[in-house]
Amino acid sequence: MLHKLFRRGMSCEDVLEVLQSYLDGETDDATARQVLDHLHGCGHCDRESDVYLRIKVSLRKRATAVDPEIRSALSRFSERVARGEIR
Amino acid sequence: MAPMTDTHASFERYVLPELDVLYRTAWSLTRSDVEAQDLVQDTLLRAYRAIDRFDGRYPRAWLMTIMRNANINRARKKKPDLLDDPDATFERSLAFAETQGPEELVLEGEFDATVEAGYRELPEKFREVVELVDLNGLAYQEAADVLGVPVGTVMSRLHRARKRIRHHIEEVGLDLAGGGS
Repeated sequence: MLHKLFRRGMSCEDVLEVLQSYLDGETDDATARQVLDHLHGCGHCDRESDVYLRIKVSLRKRATAVDPEIRSALSRFSERVARGEIR
Repeated sequence: MAPMTDTHASFERYVLPELDVLYRTAWSLTRSDVEAQDLVQDTLLRAYRAIDRFDGRYPRAWLMTIMRNANINRARKKKPDLLDDPDATFERSLAFAETQGPEELVLEGEFDATVEAGYRELPEKFREVVELVDLNGLAYQEAADVLGVPVGTVMSRLHRARKRIRHHIEEVGLDLAGGGS
């Protein structure tokens, strides 16, 4: 494992620890670069990354669009609040 | 037309762009169209009253904290019989979402259906975080603000939830390695 640390900066264990945060864009730039470098050189972690990315994309498809009628009602309400008509 | 006040301008700048996120988050918290609209309206009013004290940094996180407080206040007053059946409401919302992109939903249909089944089996606390982050697009800190929990709790629940979904996919024997199902 030590040779991986020297060769790739982060071990597989390190990468798997932060992988989901990385996919969510929640790691700092330096960590993100190290994860990306590791993924380019490690088939196992790259497949892990693909799995969680597919799950994330699939879940995202379940996001509900706001019903246009509700959106319109809330816009009208918020505009009235913005004008100070409702307090 | 009357000139725009600073309060009005700040409200338009920081609050109005977040309307959709506010509604989806409110729906996640209430599981009801009517309750979600009420909660958003309450949040908008509270935000308007507080906006002169807002420093302009992280408006979504600020709004999530306001919504959380509004929701706590509402929960104290709420009568249980006013709630919609959460599953029925969720079904209606999904049915609406599915009209948005049928071609996309056809692709990887089996994989998506399995993910959906795994998602529905999650304990409520896990599903709630998945909904806020993956479906509604909140950052970890924003989800923590609206739930009133540490950001580490959001991360832990979210990551464990996805692992459970992954485990469910493996259990039904779907190929996780390929790009398609």
